[in-house]
Amino acid sequence: MVERVEAFVGEYAAGKSEVAVNRALALRQQGKQVTLVDLDLVEPTFTLRPLKHQLEGQGLNVIAWETAQTFGLGEAGMQLHPQARSAMLRTGHLVCDVGYGVFGSEVLNLVEGALACPHLGVYLVVNTTRPMTSSVDLILEEAKLFNPLHGLLNNTHLGAETTVELVQRGAQIVQVAANELNLPVIATPALAEIAQQMDGYDVCGNPVWPLRRYLQTAFW
Amino acid sequence: MTNVIEAEQRSFMTGNEVVAWAALAAGAEFMYGYPITPQNEIMHYWTRLAPKFKRGFLQTEDELSAGFATLGGVMAGRKSFCATAGPGNVLMQEPISMAEMMRIPAVWFIQQRGGPSTATVIYSQQETRLTCLGGNGEGNRLVYSTASHQEVFDYAIKAFNNAWNYRFPTFVLGDGYQAKMREAVTLYDPAQRGIELHGTSRMLGRSSKQLDGQQVRHYRNTFNIEEELYETLMQHIADWDHMAEEVVEWAWEGDEEPDLLLVAHGVVSRAVYAAYEHLKSAGYNVAYFRPITLRPFPVAALQRAAGRCRQLLVAESAYGQLLSLVRDSLYGKTCAPIEGLLRPGLGITEELVVEWAQRLLARVG
Repeated sequence: MVERVEAFVGEYAAGKSEVAVNRALALRQQGKQVTLVDLDLVEPTFTLRPLKHQLEGQGLNVIAWETAQTFGLGEAGMQLHPQARSAMLRTGHLVCDVGYGVFGSEVLNLVEGALACPHLGVYLVVNTTRPMTSSVDLILEEAKLFNPLHGLLNNTHLGAETTVELVQRGAQIVQVAANELNLPVIATPALAEIAQQMDGYDVCGNPVWPLRRYLQTAFW
Repeated sequence: MTNVIEAEQRSFMTGNEVVAWAALAAGAEFMYGYPITPQNEIMHYWTRLAPKFKRGFLQTEDELSAGFATLGGVMAGRKSFCATAGPGNVLMQEPISMAEMMRIPAVWFIQQRGGPSTATVIYSQQETRLTCLGGNGEGNRLVYSTASHQEVFDYAIKAFNNAWNYRFPTFVLGDGYQAKMREAVTLYDPAQRGIELHGTSRMLGRSSKQLDGQQVRHYRNTFNIEEELYETLMQHIADWDHMAEEVVEWAWEGDEEPDLLLVAHGVVSRAVYAAYEHLKSAGYNVAYFRPITLRPFPVAALQRAAGRCRQLLVAESAYGQLLSLVRDSLYGKTCAPIEGLLRPGLGITEELVVEWAQRLLARVG
Protein backbone atom coordinates (compact mmCIF):
# COMPACT_ATOMS: atom_id res chain seq x y z
CA MET A 1 0.00 0.00 0.00
CA VAL A 2 1.29 3.47 -0.86
CA GLU A 3 2.28 5.39 2.28
CA ARG A 4 2.21 8.98 1.04
CA VAL A 5 0.37 10.70 -1.77
CA GLU A 6 1.33 14.11 -3.16
CA ALA A 7 -0.87 15.61 -5.85
CA PHE A 8 0.07 18.77 -7.73
CA VAL A 9 -2.90 20.81 -8.85
CA GLY A 10 -3.38 24.32 -10.18
CA GLU A 11 -4.05 26.55 -13.12
CA TYR A 12 -3.17 25.65 -16.70
CA ALA A 13 0.57 26.16 -17.28
CA ALA A 14 1.28 26.87 -13.59
CA GLY A 15 4.12 24.37 -13.64
CA LYS A 16 2.39 21.35 -12.11
CA SER A 17 4.05 18.73 -14.32
CA GLU A 18 7.55 20.19 -14.02
CA VAL A 19 7.21 20.33 -10.23
CA ALA A 20 5.71 16.81 -10.06
CA VAL A 21 8.53 15.29 -12.13
CA ASN A 22 11.22 17.04 -10.11
CA ARG A 23 9.57 16.14 -6.80
CA ALA A 24 9.30 12.49 -7.82
CA LEU A 25 13.00 12.42 -8.75
CA ALA A 26 14.00 14.20 -5.53
CA LEU A 27 12.11 11.58 -3.46
CA ARG A 28 13.83 8.85 -5.46
CA GLN A 29 17.17 10.50 -4.68
CA GLN A 30 16.26 10.11 -1.01
CA GLY A 31 15.98 6.37 -1.59
CA LYS A 32 12.19 6.16 -1.67
CA GLN A 33 10.12 3.98 -3.98
CA VAL A 34 8.24 6.44 -6.16
CA THR A 35 5.39 6.10 -8.64
CA LEU A 36 4.51 9.10 -10.82
CA VAL A 37 0.99 9.13 -12.26
CA ASP A 38 -0.31 11.13 -15.21
CA LEU A 39 -3.80 12.31 -14.19
CA ASP A 40 -4.33 14.82 -16.98
CA LEU A 41 -7.88 14.32 -18.23
CA VAL A 42 -7.90 17.25 -20.63
CA GLU A 43 -4.84 16.32 -22.60
CA PRO A 44 -3.92 12.92 -21.22
CA THR A 45 -0.34 11.97 -21.87
CA PHE A 46 0.54 15.42 -23.15
CA THR A 47 3.20 15.88 -20.56
CA LEU A 48 4.55 12.63 -19.23
CA ARG A 49 4.35 10.42 -22.31
CA PRO A 50 7.55 11.61 -24.03
CA LEU A 51 9.45 11.49 -20.73
CA LYS A 52 8.33 8.07 -19.58
CA HIS A 53 11.41 6.10 -20.61
CA GLN A 54 13.85 8.72 -19.47
CA LEU A 55 12.23 8.91 -16.03
CA GLU A 56 12.03 5.13 -15.71
CA GLY A 57 15.71 5.06 -16.47
CA GLN A 58 16.18 7.29 -13.45
CA GLY A 59 14.39 4.84 -11.18
CA LEU A 60 10.80 6.07 -11.21
CA ASN A 61 7.73 3.97 -11.87
CA VAL A 62 5.67 5.96 -14.35
CA ILE A 63 1.98 5.36 -14.98
CA ALA A 64 1.33 6.99 -18.35
CA TRP A 65 0.71 5.78 -21.86
CA GLU A 66 3.72 5.26 -24.10
CA THR A 67 3.62 7.17 -27.37
CA ALA A 68 3.27 3.95 -29.38
CA GLN A 69 0.21 2.97 -27.34
CA THR A 70 -1.67 6.19 -28.06
CA PHE A 71 -3.95 6.85 -31.00
CA GLY A 72 -4.70 10.35 -32.20
CA LEU A 73 -3.66 11.92 -28.88
CA GLY A 74 -7.17 12.73 -27.71
CA GLU A 75 -8.70 13.36 -31.14
CA ALA A 76 -10.34 9.94 -31.06
CA GLY A 77 -11.12 9.96 -27.34
CA MET A 78 -8.77 9.06 -24.51
CA GLN A 79 -8.62 6.69 -21.59
CA LEU A 80 -6.87 7.05 -18.31
CA HIS A 81 -4.17 4.40 -17.99
CA PRO A 82 -5.81 1.44 -16.18
CA GLN A 83 -2.86 1.17 -13.78
CA ALA A 84 -3.75 4.60 -12.43
CA ARG A 85 -6.89 3.12 -10.89
CA SER A 86 -4.92 0.76 -8.67
CA ALA A 87 -1.87 2.95 -8.13
CA MET A 88 -2.41 2.89 -4.34
CA LEU A 89 -1.51 -0.84 -4.32
CA ARG A 90 2.09 0.09 -5.03
CA THR A 91 4.58 0.88 -2.29
CA GLY A 92 6.28 4.03 -1.14
CA HIS A 93 5.30 7.42 -2.55
CA LEU A 94 2.71 8.32 -5.14
CA VAL A 95 3.17 11.59 -6.98
CA CYS A 96 0.20 12.70 -9.05
CA ASP A 97 0.39 15.21 -11.89
CA VAL A 98 -3.22 16.42 -11.99
CA GLY A 99 -3.99 18.27 -15.21
CA TYR A 100 -6.07 21.44 -15.33
CA GLY A 101 -9.82 21.17 -15.77
CA VAL A 102 -13.09 21.61 -13.95
CA PHE A 103 -12.91 18.62 -11.63
CA GLY A 104 -10.33 20.02 -9.24
CA SER A 105 -9.21 17.60 -6.56
CA GLU A 106 -12.01 15.17 -7.43
CA VAL A 107 -9.83 13.75 -10.18
CA LEU A 108 -8.08 11.89 -7.39
CA ASN A 109 -11.24 9.77 -7.03
CA LEU A 110 -9.99 7.93 -10.09
CA VAL A 111 -7.09 6.58 -8.05
CA GLU A 112 -8.90 4.23 -5.70
CA GLY A 113 -8.12 5.00 -2.09
CA ALA A 114 -5.95 8.06 -2.76
CA LEU A 115 -8.25 10.57 -1.10
CA ALA A 116 -8.53 8.30 1.96
CA CYS A 117 -4.77 8.04 2.39
CA PRO A 118 -3.78 9.30 5.87
CA HIS A 119 -0.71 11.01 4.39
CA LEU A 120 -2.31 12.91 1.52
CA GLY A 121 -1.01 16.24 0.29
CA VAL A 122 -2.89 18.11 -2.44
CA TYR A 123 -0.76 21.13 -3.32
CA LEU A 124 -1.68 24.18 -5.37
CA VAL A 125 1.13 25.21 -7.71
CA VAL A 126 1.13 28.99 -8.24
CA ASN A 127 3.13 31.17 -10.63
CA THR A 128 2.35 34.79 -9.77
CA THR A 129 3.58 36.03 -13.16
CA ARG A 130 0.49 34.46 -14.67
CA PRO A 131 -2.38 36.99 -14.78
CA MET A 132 -5.03 34.67 -13.30
CA THR A 133 -2.92 34.03 -10.17
CA SER A 134 -1.01 37.28 -9.91
CA SER A 135 -2.50 38.60 -6.68
CA VAL A 136 -3.62 37.27 -3.31
CA ASP A 137 -7.31 37.63 -4.26
CA LEU A 138 -6.84 35.77 -7.51
CA ILE A 139 -4.91 32.97 -5.81
CA LEU A 140 -7.72 32.62 -3.26
CA GLU A 141 -10.20 32.35 -6.17
CA GLU A 142 -8.11 29.62 -7.74
CA ALA A 143 -7.74 27.77 -4.43
CA LYS A 144 -11.54 27.57 -4.06
CA LEU A 145 -11.60 25.08 -6.93
CA PHE A 146 -9.65 22.50 -4.98
CA ASN A 147 -11.07 20.55 -2.09
CA PRO A 148 -9.22 19.03 -0.31
CA LEU A 149 -6.20 21.30 -0.45
CA HIS A 150 -3.29 20.95 1.95
CA GLY A 151 -0.75 23.51 0.87
CA LEU A 152 0.60 25.93 -1.72
CA LEU A 153 3.78 26.01 -3.74
CA ASN A 154 5.39 29.22 -4.96
CA ASN A 155 6.46 28.39 -8.50
CA THR A 156 6.83 32.03 -9.54
CA HIS A 157 9.08 32.37 -12.57
CA LEU A 158 9.43 33.96 -16.00
CA GLY A 159 11.27 31.14 -17.72
CA ALA A 160 14.71 32.25 -18.81
CA GLU A 161 14.10 35.73 -17.39
CA THR A 162 13.62 34.57 -13.82
CA THR A 163 15.49 36.45 -11.10
CA VAL A 164 15.83 35.74 -7.40
CA GLU A 165 14.02 38.98 -6.69
CA LEU A 166 11.03 37.85 -8.75
CA VAL A 167 10.87 34.50 -6.98
CA GLN A 168 11.01 36.20 -3.58
CA ARG A 169 8.22 38.63 -4.49
CA GLY A 170 6.15 35.64 -5.53
CA ALA A 171 6.96 33.91 -2.25
CA GLN A 172 5.54 36.85 -0.33
CA ILE A 173 2.31 36.95 -2.32
CA VAL A 174 1.81 33.20 -2.02
CA GLN A 175 2.55 33.33 1.72
CA VAL A 176 -0.18 35.93 2.29
CA ALA A 177 -2.66 33.82 0.34
CA ALA A 178 -1.62 30.70 2.26
CA ASN A 179 -2.10 32.51 5.59
CA GLU A 180 -5.63 33.49 4.52
CA LEU A 181 -6.35 29.87 3.70
CA ASN A 182 -4.74 28.59 6.92
CA LEU A 183 -2.46 26.41 4.83
CA PRO A 184 1.31 26.06 4.71
CA VAL A 185 3.52 27.07 1.82
CA ILE A 186 5.17 23.72 1.22
CA ALA A 187 8.10 25.03 -0.82
CA THR A 188 9.37 27.41 -3.47
CA PRO A 189 10.49 25.35 -6.45
CA ALA A 190 13.06 27.25 -8.51
CA LEU A 191 15.52 26.57 -11.31
CA ALA A 192 18.80 25.26 -9.93
CA GLU A 193 20.78 28.38 -10.89
CA ILE A 194 18.26 30.54 -9.01
CA ALA A 195 17.91 28.12 -6.10
CA GLN A 196 21.68 28.21 -5.62
CA GLN A 197 21.48 31.91 -4.81
CA MET A 198 18.77 31.42 -2.19
CA ASP A 199 20.55 29.36 0.43
CA GLY A 200 17.92 26.71 0.95
CA TYR A 201 14.99 28.93 2.02
CA ASP A 202 12.92 31.71 0.50
CA VAL A 203 12.39 35.08 2.16
CA CYS A 204 9.38 33.68 4.07
CA GLY A 205 11.40 30.83 5.47
CA ASN A 206 9.95 28.11 3.24
CA PRO A 207 12.24 25.47 1.72
CA VAL A 208 13.51 25.95 -1.82
CA TRP A 209 13.26 22.93 -4.14
CA PRO A 210 15.88 23.16 -6.90
CA LEU A 211 14.40 22.28 -10.28
CA ARG A 212 15.82 20.96 -13.51
CA ARG A 213 13.73 21.51 -16.64
CA TYR A 214 12.35 18.30 -18.10
CA LEU A 215 9.19 19.47 -19.83
CA GLN A 216 11.04 21.42 -22.54
CA THR A 217 12.20 18.19 -24.11
CA ALA A 218 8.70 16.79 -23.75
CA PHE A 219 7.51 19.26 -26.34
CA TRP A 220 8.39 17.41 -29.47
CA MET B 1 -15.05 49.58 -20.92
CA THR B 2 -12.84 48.58 -17.99
CA ASN B 3 -9.17 48.78 -18.81
CA VAL B 4 -8.06 45.31 -19.75
CA ILE B 5 -4.48 45.90 -18.75
CA GLU B 6 -3.89 48.51 -16.09
CA ALA B 7 -0.13 48.61 -16.30
CA GLU B 8 2.35 46.81 -18.51
CA GLN B 9 3.09 43.44 -17.05
CA ARG B 10 5.57 40.75 -17.99
CA SER B 11 3.73 37.44 -17.78
CA PHE B 12 4.55 33.80 -18.38
CA MET B 13 1.97 32.17 -20.55
CA THR B 14 1.10 29.98 -23.50
CA GLY B 15 0.43 31.36 -26.96
CA ASN B 16 -3.28 30.61 -26.83
CA GLU B 17 -3.62 32.67 -23.67
CA VAL B 18 -1.76 35.53 -25.36
CA VAL B 19 -4.35 35.45 -28.16
CA ALA B 20 -7.20 35.80 -25.67
CA TRP B 21 -5.50 38.69 -23.86
CA ALA B 22 -4.54 40.38 -27.12
CA ALA B 23 -8.08 40.19 -28.45
CA LEU B 24 -9.32 41.76 -25.21
CA ALA B 25 -6.69 44.50 -25.37
CA ALA B 26 -7.55 45.17 -29.02
CA GLY B 27 -11.15 45.82 -28.05
CA ALA B 28 -12.65 42.66 -29.53
CA GLU B 29 -16.24 42.36 -28.36
CA PHE B 30 -17.27 38.92 -29.49
CA MET B 31 -15.65 35.60 -30.17
CA TYR B 32 -17.45 32.90 -32.11
CA GLY B 33 -15.85 29.54 -31.91
CA TYR B 34 -15.85 25.82 -32.15
CA PRO B 35 -13.42 23.60 -30.27
CA ILE B 36 -10.44 22.07 -32.01
CA THR B 37 -7.00 21.24 -30.69
CA PRO B 38 -4.61 23.04 -30.40
CA GLN B 39 -6.52 26.31 -30.13
CA ASN B 40 -9.07 25.40 -27.43
CA GLU B 41 -7.40 27.45 -24.72
CA ILE B 42 -8.13 30.60 -26.72
CA MET B 43 -11.81 29.90 -26.04
CA HIS B 44 -11.18 28.74 -22.48
CA TYR B 45 -9.41 31.96 -21.55
CA TRP B 46 -11.67 34.24 -23.57
CA THR B 47 -14.77 32.78 -21.86
CA ARG B 48 -13.12 33.09 -18.43
CA LEU B 49 -12.14 36.71 -18.99
CA ALA B 50 -15.01 37.92 -21.17
CA PRO B 51 -17.63 38.39 -18.43
CA LYS B 52 -15.25 40.61 -16.45
CA PHE B 53 -14.88 42.93 -19.41
CA LYS B 54 -18.43 42.60 -20.75
CA ARG B 55 -17.45 40.77 -23.91
CA GLY B 56 -19.41 37.95 -25.47
CA PHE B 57 -18.92 34.44 -26.75
CA LEU B 58 -20.93 31.94 -28.72
CA GLN B 59 -19.99 28.39 -29.48
CA THR B 60 -21.69 27.28 -32.65
CA GLU B 61 -22.39 23.80 -33.98
CA ASP B 62 -19.35 23.71 -36.25
CA GLU B 63 -16.70 25.85 -37.87
CA LEU B 64 -18.83 26.76 -40.87
CA SER B 65 -21.34 28.47 -38.65
CA ALA B 66 -18.65 29.86 -36.33
CA GLY B 67 -17.15 31.66 -39.31
CA PHE B 68 -20.49 32.91 -40.61
CA ALA B 69 -21.58 33.95 -37.13
CA THR B 70 -18.37 36.01 -36.90
CA LEU B 71 -19.33 37.82 -40.08
CA GLY B 72 -22.80 38.35 -38.68
CA GLY B 73 -21.32 39.88 -35.55
CA VAL B 74 -19.23 42.22 -37.66
CA MET B 75 -22.20 43.24 -39.78
CA ALA B 76 -24.08 44.02 -36.59
CA GLY B 77 -21.30 46.45 -35.75
CA ARG B 78 -19.26 44.42 -33.23
CA LYS B 79 -15.54 43.79 -33.36
CA SER B 80 -15.60 40.00 -33.75
CA PHE B 81 -13.07 37.24 -34.19
CA CYS B 82 -12.73 33.54 -34.61
CA ALA B 83 -10.04 30.90 -34.10
CA THR B 84 -9.49 27.48 -35.57
CA ALA B 85 -6.99 24.91 -36.81
CA GLY B 86 -6.56 22.07 -39.27
CA PRO B 87 -9.80 20.65 -40.65
CA GLY B 88 -11.61 23.54 -38.96
CA ASN B 89 -9.58 25.90 -41.13
CA VAL B 90 -10.69 23.93 -44.18
CA LEU B 91 -14.33 24.47 -43.18
CA MET B 92 -13.70 28.16 -42.50
CA GLN B 93 -12.85 28.77 -46.14
CA GLU B 94 -16.55 29.17 -46.93
CA PRO B 95 -17.18 32.06 -44.54
CA ILE B 96 -13.74 33.50 -45.33
CA SER B 97 -14.59 33.52 -49.04
CA MET B 98 -17.77 35.38 -48.22
CA ALA B 99 -15.78 37.90 -46.21
CA GLU B 100 -13.48 38.40 -49.20
CA MET B 101 -16.41 38.90 -51.57
CA MET B 102 -18.45 41.19 -49.33
CA ARG B 103 -15.41 42.98 -47.84
CA ILE B 104 -16.37 42.14 -44.27
CA PRO B 105 -13.53 42.75 -41.84
CA ALA B 106 -12.83 39.98 -39.35
CA VAL B 107 -9.84 38.45 -37.61
CA TRP B 108 -8.97 34.77 -37.48
CA PHE B 109 -6.34 33.13 -35.29
CA ILE B 110 -5.06 29.95 -36.89
CA GLN B 111 -3.04 27.41 -34.86
CA GLN B 112 -1.71 25.05 -37.49
CA ARG B 113 -1.70 21.35 -36.79
CA GLY B 114 -0.70 18.32 -38.87
CA GLY B 115 -2.56 17.75 -42.10
CA PRO B 116 -4.19 16.77 -44.28
CA SER B 117 -7.49 15.99 -42.56
CA THR B 118 -7.36 15.06 -38.85
CA ALA B 119 -3.65 14.08 -39.01
CA THR B 120 -2.14 15.28 -35.71
CA VAL B 121 -3.37 17.69 -33.07
CA ILE B 122 0.13 18.99 -32.55
CA TYR B 123 1.91 21.13 -35.13
CA SER B 124 2.77 21.92 -38.70
CA GLN B 125 3.05 24.79 -41.16
CA GLN B 126 0.73 22.99 -43.52
CA GLU B 127 -2.04 25.57 -43.50
CA THR B 128 0.11 28.26 -45.06
CA ARG B 129 -1.35 27.87 -48.53
CA LEU B 130 -4.85 27.41 -47.17
CA THR B 131 -4.72 30.51 -44.99
CA CYS B 132 -3.16 32.67 -47.71
CA LEU B 133 -4.98 31.39 -50.77
CA GLY B 134 -7.77 29.07 -49.67
CA GLY B 135 -11.40 29.33 -50.62
CA ASN B 136 -12.77 29.91 -54.10
CA GLY B 137 -11.41 33.41 -54.56
CA GLU B 138 -8.21 35.28 -55.32
CA GLY B 139 -6.72 35.31 -51.83
CA ASN B 140 -7.59 38.90 -51.03
CA ARG B 141 -6.48 38.49 -47.44
CA LEU B 142 -3.95 39.81 -44.96
CA VAL B 143 -1.90 37.12 -43.24
CA TYR B 144 0.64 37.64 -40.46
CA SER B 145 2.97 34.77 -39.53
CA THR B 146 4.18 35.19 -35.95
CA ALA B 147 7.23 33.67 -34.29
CA SER B 148 6.94 34.65 -30.62
CA HIS B 149 4.34 35.41 -28.00
CA GLN B 150 5.22 39.07 -28.12
CA GLU B 151 4.51 39.08 -31.83
CA VAL B 152 1.20 37.29 -31.30
CA PHE B 153 0.18 40.10 -28.95
CA ASP B 154 1.52 42.92 -31.13
CA TYR B 155 0.23 41.56 -34.43
CA ALA B 156 -3.17 40.67 -33.01
CA ILE B 157 -3.69 44.35 -32.23
CA LYS B 158 -2.41 45.25 -35.70
CA ALA B 159 -4.66 42.61 -37.26
CA PHE B 160 -7.81 44.07 -35.72
CA ASN B 161 -6.88 47.57 -36.79
CA ASN B 162 -5.89 46.61 -40.31
CA ALA B 163 -8.91 44.37 -40.82
CA TRP B 164 -11.27 47.25 -40.09
CA ASN B 165 -9.13 49.75 -41.93
CA TYR B 166 -8.73 47.85 -45.18
CA ARG B 167 -11.73 45.50 -44.95
CA PHE B 168 -10.12 42.22 -45.90
CA PRO B 169 -10.24 39.06 -43.80
CA THR B 170 -7.12 39.17 -41.63
CA PHE B 171 -5.20 36.31 -40.07
CA VAL B 172 -2.66 35.72 -37.35
CA LEU B 173 -1.10 32.45 -38.44
CA GLY B 174 0.39 30.51 -35.54
CA ASP B 175 0.80 26.80 -34.92
CA GLY B 176 0.44 24.19 -32.21
CA TYR B 177 3.91 24.85 -30.82
CA GLN B 178 3.30 28.57 -30.45
CA ALA B 179 -0.14 27.78 -29.02
CA LYS B 180 1.20 25.58 -26.24
CA MET B 181 4.75 26.71 -25.60
CA ARG B 182 5.41 28.90 -22.61
CA GLU B 183 7.45 32.07 -22.60
CA ALA B 184 7.42 35.56 -21.15
CA VAL B 185 5.41 38.29 -22.86
CA THR B 186 4.64 41.92 -22.07
CA LEU B 187 0.92 42.62 -22.06
CA TYR B 188 0.07 46.28 -22.56
CA ASP B 189 -2.83 48.59 -23.18
CA PRO B 190 -2.48 49.77 -26.80
CA ALA B 191 -3.58 53.29 -25.82
CA GLN B 192 -0.63 53.56 -23.44
CA ARG B 193 1.67 52.98 -26.39
CA GLY B 194 -0.08 55.48 -28.59
CA ILE B 195 -1.89 52.86 -30.64
CA GLU B 196 -5.37 53.96 -31.61
CA LEU B 197 -7.93 51.21 -31.99
CA HIS B 198 -10.01 51.32 -35.15
CA GLY B 199 -13.72 51.74 -34.50
CA THR B 200 -16.54 49.65 -35.92
CA SER B 201 -19.89 50.54 -37.41
CA ARG B 202 -23.02 48.67 -38.28
CA MET B 203 -23.04 47.31 -41.77
CA LEU B 204 -26.70 46.26 -41.64
CA GLY B 205 -29.79 47.11 -39.66
CA ARG B 206 -29.52 50.86 -39.78
CA SER B 207 -32.75 52.79 -39.96
CA SER B 208 -33.53 54.99 -42.96
CA LYS B 209 -32.89 57.97 -40.67
CA GLN B 210 -29.36 56.72 -40.03
CA LEU B 211 -28.81 56.17 -43.70
CA ASP B 212 -29.38 59.86 -44.10
CA GLY B 213 -30.65 59.85 -47.65
CA GLN B 214 -27.94 57.47 -48.83
CA GLN B 215 -28.73 54.50 -50.99
CA VAL B 216 -29.69 51.33 -49.20
CA ARG B 217 -26.63 49.23 -48.43
CA HIS B 218 -26.58 45.97 -50.28
CA TYR B 219 -23.67 43.66 -49.60
CA ARG B 220 -23.44 41.28 -52.48
CA ASN B 221 -21.66 38.00 -52.68
CA THR B 222 -23.50 36.93 -55.79
CA PHE B 223 -23.63 38.45 -59.28
CA ASN B 224 -25.70 37.93 -62.39
CA ILE B 225 -23.17 37.96 -65.16
CA GLU B 226 -19.43 37.54 -65.56
CA GLU B 227 -18.75 41.17 -66.28
CA GLU B 228 -20.33 42.31 -63.01
CA LEU B 229 -18.15 39.92 -61.04
CA TYR B 230 -15.05 40.94 -62.98
CA GLU B 231 -15.59 44.64 -62.34
CA THR B 232 -16.19 44.09 -58.63
CA LEU B 233 -13.22 41.79 -58.23
CA MET B 234 -10.84 44.08 -60.08
CA GLN B 235 -11.84 46.86 -57.71
CA HIS B 236 -11.18 44.60 -54.71
CA ILE B 237 -7.82 43.64 -56.18
CA ALA B 238 -6.92 47.29 -56.68
CA ASP B 239 -7.80 47.93 -53.03
CA TRP B 240 -5.77 44.90 -51.99
CA ASP B 241 -2.75 46.06 -54.01
CA HIS B 242 -3.00 49.44 -52.34
CA MET B 243 -3.16 47.78 -48.89
CA ALA B 244 -0.26 45.50 -49.77
CA GLU B 245 2.13 48.43 -50.19
CA GLU B 246 1.23 49.75 -46.77
CA VAL B 247 1.17 46.53 -44.71
CA VAL B 248 3.88 44.28 -46.15
CA GLU B 249 6.50 43.27 -43.55
CA TRP B 250 9.62 41.14 -43.51
CA ALA B 251 12.95 40.67 -41.71
CA TRP B 252 16.26 40.46 -43.57
CA GLU B 253 19.75 40.20 -42.19
CA GLY B 254 23.20 39.37 -43.39
CA ASP B 255 25.33 39.65 -46.42
CA GLU B 256 24.01 41.18 -49.65
CA GLU B 257 25.92 38.66 -51.73
CA PRO B 258 25.57 35.58 -49.57
CA ASP B 259 26.72 32.10 -50.49
CA LEU B 260 23.46 30.97 -48.93
CA LEU B 261 20.20 32.75 -48.18
CA LEU B 262 18.11 31.03 -45.50
CA VAL B 263 14.34 31.55 -45.72
CA ALA B 264 11.65 30.54 -43.20
CA HIS B 265 8.44 31.88 -41.63
CA GLY B 266 6.67 31.58 -38.30
CA VAL B 267 8.15 29.53 -35.47
CA VAL B 268 10.61 27.80 -37.82
CA SER B 269 12.24 31.19 -38.38
CA ARG B 270 13.50 31.01 -34.78
CA ALA B 271 15.50 27.87 -35.48
CA VAL B 272 16.63 29.24 -38.84
CA TYR B 273 17.72 32.54 -37.31
CA ALA B 274 19.70 30.66 -34.65
CA ALA B 275 21.29 28.61 -37.45
CA TYR B 276 22.10 31.81 -39.37
CA GLU B 277 23.87 33.29 -36.33
CA HIS B 278 25.74 30.05 -35.73
CA LEU B 279 26.92 29.91 -39.36
CA LYS B 280 27.84 33.59 -39.39
CA SER B 281 30.01 33.25 -36.29
CA ALA B 282 31.61 30.19 -37.88
CA GLY B 283 32.72 32.50 -40.68
CA TYR B 284 30.24 31.56 -43.39
CA ASN B 285 28.87 34.13 -45.81
CA VAL B 286 25.15 33.78 -45.15
CA ALA B 287 21.95 35.78 -44.98
CA TYR B 288 18.49 35.33 -43.48
CA PHE B 289 15.07 36.30 -44.80
CA ARG B 290 11.78 35.96 -42.99
CA PRO B 291 8.45 37.03 -44.51
CA ILE B 292 6.24 38.37 -41.70
CA THR B 293 3.25 39.06 -43.92
CA LEU B 294 2.73 35.95 -46.02
CA ARG B 295 -0.06 37.68 -47.82
CA PRO B 296 0.98 40.12 -49.19
CA PHE B 297 4.23 38.24 -49.64
CA PRO B 298 7.26 40.57 -49.52
CA VAL B 299 8.11 39.92 -53.16
CA ALA B 300 10.24 42.98 -53.85
CA ALA B 301 12.19 42.58 -50.60
CA LEU B 302 12.91 38.92 -51.30
CA GLN B 303 14.00 39.75 -54.83
CA ARG B 304 16.47 42.25 -53.38
CA ALA B 305 17.70 39.76 -50.76
CA ALA B 306 18.11 36.99 -53.32
CA GLY B 307 19.37 39.25 -56.07
CA ARG B 308 22.99 38.31 -55.75
CA CYS B 309 22.86 35.15 -53.65
CA ARG B 310 24.38 31.93 -54.88
CA GLN B 311 21.72 29.61 -53.53
CA LEU B 312 18.70 29.55 -51.25
CA LEU B 313 17.48 27.15 -48.59
CA VAL B 314 13.80 27.31 -47.64
CA ALA B 315 12.91 25.50 -44.41
CA GLU B 316 9.31 24.71 -43.47
CA SER B 317 7.18 22.17 -41.61
CA ALA B 318 5.21 21.52 -44.78
CA TYR B 319 5.98 20.08 -48.20
CA GLY B 320 6.62 23.17 -50.27
CA GLN B 321 3.94 25.63 -49.23
CA LEU B 322 6.42 28.38 -48.40
CA LEU B 323 8.75 27.14 -51.15
CA SER B 324 6.05 27.81 -53.76
CA LEU B 325 5.61 31.38 -52.54
CA VAL B 326 9.39 31.88 -52.71
CA ARG B 327 9.70 30.40 -56.18
CA ASP B 328 6.76 32.46 -57.38
CA SER B 329 8.43 35.64 -56.12
CA LEU B 330 11.80 34.88 -57.65
CA TYR B 331 10.71 33.57 -61.04
CA GLY B 332 12.84 35.12 -63.73
CA LYS B 333 14.87 37.03 -61.15
CA THR B 334 17.47 34.47 -60.16
CA CYS B 335 19.24 31.42 -61.48
CA ALA B 336 20.32 30.47 -57.98
CA PRO B 337 19.20 26.98 -57.00
CA ILE B 338 16.37 26.99 -54.44
CA GLU B 339 16.52 23.99 -52.11
CA GLY B 340 13.79 22.97 -49.71
CA LEU B 341 14.24 21.56 -46.19
CA LEU B 342 10.71 20.23 -46.14
CA ARG B 343 9.35 18.51 -43.02
CA PRO B 344 5.55 18.28 -43.11
CA GLY B 345 4.23 18.16 -39.55
CA LEU B 346 7.68 17.89 -37.94
CA GLY B 347 9.55 20.46 -35.90
CA ILE B 348 12.77 21.81 -37.38
CA THR B 349 15.77 22.36 -35.13
CA GLU B 350 18.70 24.74 -35.42
CA GLU B 351 21.01 21.74 -35.67
CA LEU B 352 19.17 20.32 -38.68
CA VAL B 353 19.26 23.65 -40.50
CA VAL B 354 22.99 24.05 -39.78
CA GLU B 355 23.66 20.54 -41.09
CA TRP B 356 21.79 21.22 -44.35
CA ALA B 357 23.31 24.67 -44.73
CA GLN B 358 26.83 23.37 -44.29
CA ARG B 359 26.25 20.75 -46.97
CA LEU B 360 24.99 23.41 -49.39
CA LEU B 361 27.80 25.82 -48.50
CA ALA B 362 30.35 23.08 -49.21
CA ARG B 363 28.98 22.94 -52.76
CA VAL B 364 29.98 26.52 -53.50
CA GLY B 365 33.30 25.94 -51.74
